[in-house]
Amino acid sequence: MKKRYWRCFVCNDIHYGVAPPELCPTCKVLNAYVEISAEEARRFLEPSAAAPAPPDFRTAIESFAAGQVFQVNPDREKVDLLLKGIAENESNHGLKFCPCRLRTKDWAEDQRLVCPCNFTIHETYKGVADGECWCGLFVRRK
Amino acid sequence: MAKLIMFHGRECPHCKKMMPLVEKLEQEIPVRFDKREIWHDEANADLMRGYREALAPKCGNQLRVPTFLNMETKDAVCGEVEYEKLKDWALKQV
Repeated sequence: MKKRYWRCFVCNDIHYGVAPPELCPTCKVLNAYVEISAEEARRFLEPSAAAPAPPDFRTAIESFAAGQVFQVNPDREKVDLLLKGIAENESNHGLKFCPCRLRTKDWAEDQRLVCPCNFTIHETYKGVADGECWCGLFVRRK
Repeated sequence: MAKLIMFHGRECPHCKKMMPLVEKLEQEIPVRFDKREIWHDEANADLMRGYREALAPKCGNQLRVPTFLNMETKDAVCGEVEYEKLKDWALKQV
């Protein structure tokens, strides 16, 4: 399934996926998306000075995990080490790659290594009572 | 002596936990691991990628650290493992 770019004709939200959202999550208009080129999407996605800075990554993943069946690992020392590695990987290699795996240099494969990854399908988590993602940043909520 | 490698990452908690166990093992039995850090040394990363065919099937079809590899036989063990399991694996290599 090939992902494509879509733009909301009302609020200019950009969506990247095999199909557009039925309901625009920003302006709540139905069936508002039109397909656009990658180049047009890139222009809309250029960083805007008006856009607020994202939260630090720790805050972002805590917010991501809130209310989920998993949580950020309560082991603060482990999380600190992992966040340091993730930050260094982003600085040195361009994306928040998992410090406990190695990128292959194949873009399609390496997207799966960006934190948070889809760890819920991994053998270290799926069906495991005290499961965790491969690196241990996320653990099943007790 | 068998050529054994430990691929590890500097900010990988599993690797950090395994490192003293590896050093203990090196004291206990006649093995030496060539320790290769893979996120801050691209030559080491390329070395690990070169063994992908042998390593990936044993590591969830990915390249993960820590990974212990016998460069000659391509036998490998992947992840944070109990000391005795690593020792048993290492003894098979010598």
